[in-house]
Amino acid sequence: MELSIDRLTKHYGHKIAVDRVSATLGPGVYGLLGANGAGKTTLMRMLCSILEPTSGEVRFNGKDVASMGGAYRDVLGYLPQDFGYYPTYTAAEFLFYIAALKGIPKDHAGKRVKELLEMLDLAHVANKKIKTFSGGMKQRVGIAQALLNNPQVLILDEPTSGLDPKERVRLRNLLSEYAGNKIVILSTHIVSDVEAIADVVLVMNAGKIILQGAVPELARQVAGSVWELTVPKVLAREWQERVTVANYRHEGDNVVLRIISDERPSDEAVACEPTLDDAYLYYFGAEEALR
Amino acid sequence: MELFVLEHKRLWRKTSVRICVLLCFVYCVIYGGVLQYQWFVFGSSNDTTSAFGNNFDGYSMIQTYKEQADKYGGVWTDETFQQMVKDYNDLGRPGLQSGADWQLASGYLNQLYPELADPENQTYQPLIHYVDTEKLTNFYEKRQEFLEYNMEVNRQNGLLTEDDVETLRDMDSQVEEPYKYEWVQGWSNLLSTSLASTGSSMAPYLAIVLAFTFSGEWHSNTAPLLHTTKHGWRKLARVKVLSGLAFAAELFTLVAVGQIVAQLIFLGTDGWDLPIQLIKLIAVAPWNMLQAELYELAFILLGAIGYAGLVMLMSALVKNNVLSLTFSLAFIYVPGLLGFYLPLWAQDASQFIPLVGSPTDIFRMNMFHIFGKGIWMPYMLIIIPVLIGVVCIPFAILKWSRRQKA
Repeated sequence: MELSIDRLTKHYGHKIAVDRVSATLGPGVYGLLGANGAGKTTLMRMLCSILEPTSGEVRFNGKDVASMGGAYRDVLGYLPQDFGYYPTYTAAEFLFYIAALKGIPKDHAGKRVKELLEMLDLAHVANKKIKTFSGGMKQRVGIAQALLNNPQVLILDEPTSGLDPKERVRLRNLLSEYAGNKIVILSTHIVSDVEAIADVVLVMNAGKIILQGAVPELARQVAGSVWELTVPKVLAREWQERVTVANYRHEGDNVVLRIISDERPSDEAVACEPTLDDAYLYYFGAEEALR
Repeated sequence: MELFVLEHKRLWRKTSVRICVLLCFVYCVIYGGVLQYQWFVFGSSNDTTSAFGNNFDGYSMIQTYKEQADKYGGVWTDETFQQMVKDYNDLGRPGLQSGADWQLASGYLNQLYPELADPENQTYQPLIHYVDTEKLTNFYEKRQEFLEYNMEVNRQNGLLTEDDVETLRDMDSQVEEPYKYEWVQGWSNLLSTSLASTGSSMAPYLAIVLAFTFSGEWHSNTAPLLHTTKHGWRKLARVKVLSGLAFAAELFTLVAVGQIVAQLIFLGTDGWDLPIQLIKLIAVAPWNMLQAELYELAFILLGAIGYAGLVMLMSALVKNNVLSLTFSLAFIYVPGLLGFYLPLWAQDASQFIPLVGSPTDIFRMNMFHIFGKGIWMPYMLIIIPVLIGVVCIPFAILKWSRRQKA
């Protein structure tokens, strides 16, 4: 099973949202990382075949997904960034409705809906209207609908937004377990989510994939550029203005700064093991990453 | 089928839809039916300046009117006419605005016997008040002259051709004479006012419900999700359209059944086989009241289906709910607002917009010309609106099931 992206491009007037993106994705979890406006959502919508690319194509097992039509959508699960729902529907009713749209036979849909409601801890609110749900619960309904048809290609746009830490861990485990021999693509700007479950990370900036690789591989790329430095509190601000600070930790009257810099920022600075967060900051800088 | 049931259920469970259906029913059946019969039209009147001044006694007045009409023996002859005018004067001129057939008789007098009007009449009394009843003879010959005169005027104005006149004469020749006669005003109110306005009364409610069929999915942000499901493109669009059409048919059924029940309660079935010429002498269609009612019901149903198609196309074309509703309502109201500012051909064409034309064309002699051939307008008014709706449907489906360009 293979999803290949070939020079996929999307222009909105003069603005280039996605710029000649190419990649070949086999089974596994892919984390699409990038600041807001990097082009993640546009790319995902084109992968789902709901947005027409300006040029380039997406192929699933060698076939252009645009010409596959229903056959591609049959193997696709998608959670849009702003997940829309019918407020007067209960969670179960909504899932049954989407199951019918996905062409799942009624008897099978019943079993699958029950299974997913339990899996996502929604069974106790199955018959409550979605409009009464918290943001996290609504997001879980969205994830459940994406999983209804047991898709071979699962695309989740910001799936962890609105989830509390416990729910995020549950989702990570669920996706790791689900992935197996399927293609799961999730976009987020929360690095730790990607770090925890993605086999491969694709980093996007200004419509392009500027980096891709496994988490340790990407982290290794910035080895030797991550330092810890202990300074008195009064000097902390000055250091923050001079270098990219990834973390800031109080220790008595001092603070420990985690600094991203190609050169040792001070003789007292100690080199440390880089993480994906460090790599992300290394390439985007603190301001860009916060955007 | 399962998807259709789910989509249809989804449409009906919206609060806005239920409110619209309730309001439409109240307006068309309670206000436009029950209250018209019991109060505004057939209630006895103490105050002729407002229908609200009528008494709430329509049902008993209708029975009185029927009894009055029954006295004339069931056939419309010169003698019937003379007797009716005489009775009106003998009863002390009870007034022409009531539900009795005096109004009918007064209309016939003005149209068929204008030569009997007193040119010196300074008090502007209606002809029925002073006409010499002995002179009310040759009713059917007079009606024929009246018809010929109107056809000639229309022919000279370019509205009718020689062939059209022949067609209309041929239709009129099939009208049986002498006319059967029973109380007519009930049918007149039903066919000229009550049913005739039902279609245009239903239109805004249909627009409010159906204008969001497709645009609503963009508004609630569900469109991207639906579009990525196996059946979320063409099949869902077809199901949505079917569901919309079913809703139009259901709303019509609800209103029509309500109106028919009210009609049966207040008017009964008497007079179903009277010729429609009793309502309007100029009518040439050889139809009875029941046939005319069936035509008007079919006009409303087909118009509602045509309009539903048009509204759903608007909903698919624009992703904005407000725009979709505005355009849908504009189809109904803009032709009326522009009215006489439009060229004649545009005024004629606007009648074919679903629910814009009037089913009361069955009482007129309008002809529509296509490739030089004249077709009686009511046939076109029933076919073209539904065709417009049917043509809109594939475009609506196509528009929904296309990948977004932006």
